Amino acid sequence: MRTRALLALLTLLLLPALSDPNLLEGQTEKPTLGQAVVCEEMKDGSPLNQGIAFPVSAGKVMCYTAFDPVPRKAVIFHNWYRKDELNTRIRLVLQPPRWASYSTIQLREIDKGPWRIEITDQEGQVLSILRFSITD
Amino acid sequence: MEKAILFLSSIRWQDALDITLNGYILFRLYVLFRGTNAFRVLMGIALLWFLQRISSSLGLVVTSWFVQGILAVAAIIIIVVFRNEIRAVLQAKNLRSIFWGFPRASTLTPVQIIVDSVFELARRRTGALIVLPGNEDLSEAVHSGIRWRGLVSKEMIVSIFWPENPVHDGAIIIQGNEVTEVGAILPLSSRQDLPSYYGTRHRAAAGLAEATDALTVAVSEERGKITVAKGAEIRSVREKGELSRILEDHVGISSVQKKGLRKEKLELAAAALVSFLFISGVWLSFTRGLDTLITLDIPVEYMKRDPGLEIIDTSVNTLRLELSGSGALLKTIKPDQVKVQVDLSKGVAGTNSFTITTNDVSLPPGVALKSVRPASVEVTLDVLAKKDLPVQVDWAGKMPPGLIITQAKISPERVQVTGPKRLLDRLSTLYTEKVYVDNIEKSGTVSSQIVLNPASLKLASGGKIAIDYRVKQKEP
Repeated sequence: MRTRALLALLTLLLLPALSDPNLLEGQTEKPTLGQAVVCEEMKDGSPLNQGIAFPVSAGKVMCYTAFDPVPRKAVIFHNWYRKDELNTRIRLVLQPPRWASYSTIQLREIDKGPWRIEITDQEGQVLSILRFSITD
Repeated sequence: MEKAILFLSSIRWQDALDITLNGYILFRLYVLFRGTNAFRVLMGIALLWFLQRISSSLGLVVTSWFVQGILAVAAIIIIVVFRNEIRAVLQAKNLRSIFWGFPRASTLTPVQIIVDSVFELARRRTGALIVLPGNEDLSEAVHSGIRWRGLVSKEMIVSIFWPENPVHDGAIIIQGNEVTEVGAILPLSSRQDLPSYYGTRHRAAAGLAEATDALTVAVSEERGKITVAKGAEIRSVREKGELSRILEDHVGISSVQKKGLRKEKLELAAAALVSFLFISGVWLSFTRGLDTLITLDIPVEYMKRDPGLEIIDTSVNTLRLELSGSGALLKTIKPDQVKVQVDLSKGVAGTNSFTITTNDVSLPPGVALKSVRPASVEVTLDVLAKKDLPVQVDWAGKMPPGLIITQAKISPERVQVTGPKRLLDRLSTLYTEKVYVDNIEKSGTVSSQIVLNPASLKLASGGKIAIDYRVKQKEP
């Protein structure tokens, strides 16, 4: 009986040591979205000409997202919708301790109109929604 | 025999009522107008109608058109020419006599008293003018009469024409056993062939007889002669018996009165039978000929929908109905006389199939439904729901070079929409009308409207949106 109680106490003492040593108190395991913008291009790792209306003549449009912190390796998605129809779904991998990444779509004449990008985590939870239009 | 039973069983109570009602109306028209000129003309028109039908069925195009033309104006002619007779029938009599009673000579004209009076006046050489109306109304022809309404007696008639009497100069009108008017002025005849010794009194007697169906009796003041005028005929009467016969013929009193009554009853019964048979024939020709088919495209009306449900979609909006009936009926049928109403009271949220039955189709009497294509309709219903949705600006046009819209603040950012639940489930954003960027050069504010697609969606508040946008120069 005494041996069994000793074993239980030992287990309780060792449990915190089994958890992730990188996590501080109050932190979740999910990455935190710091910045999400739509831009025309990337320059020196930063989004250039952020906006909400882009001409189709620009040829492409980008979605830039920066996460800080990224507690552990994670996957996020950039879901590009034209009107309410899913156009493309881009999978991006985030690496700790912080990570920024972007997705790009090439623009065609038929892409004119209102768009939105839903940034979701692996479980499908929406982290942010960006809205913009492709114009003439 | 079986066919006869089948035919009788197919007659609805409405059909029986239809025939009885119209048969009775026809019979009443006969009763009210018999003996009048209008009735004779009506009979002529009926004959013309038969002629038109026969010529039409034989393919005599010109004859058919010609008769049809006469018939077209016949109604107007009857109303204009016989307006007095029609008015006399419809106004002078009470409602009971129009709808139910049988006009009879209930009050007999005292012919013998009139004859005695006339001969007494002749004996005394007292001028007199007596009118006995026929079936026609005299109000148009007779003027300035003074209402009298006195029972006919020899003494009274003689005293009316007594030269010292203020009303002796004029005609008296006798209807039934009453002197209804005295001192009446009659129209004068313009005939040239009347004897020269005929004075104003005789010309008045002849004038009224020519213009109406009344009989007039004139007593000459100078010669003490009795003259009777009816129609174009004027004759002198010398004996009481002769005058009695003429008056009895005119007022319809016969010595064999009972025989006359029986004859009248038989005539009315025959008229009733003919009316009934005629209307039955018309009804048969209109409703029983199922030899003709037509096809009509009729829009479907969806009725009695649960107020909490909305129609999302229907498989068809019009149905093709194949109808049968007599050619005459189908020729006159119009699409707005046919209705297809689908009862949605049993419909539930989702797709419902409703089979079209005869109860869903309303047709004019005498027309039958042969087939419906498609035989069923599918109706998608949905419950009404509310959803709070974000609003997005639909930017369009060409931005001036070197500029970029960096952000926009929309007010309100979200709006509540009411509509079918399944439709709302698919909807995640509401868009504004296109907001053109062609003339944007600096930050500013613009307003727009929310576009609702489909139109079955409804906004809880107004759809006006204010957009506060920021513009800046692009970085190279």
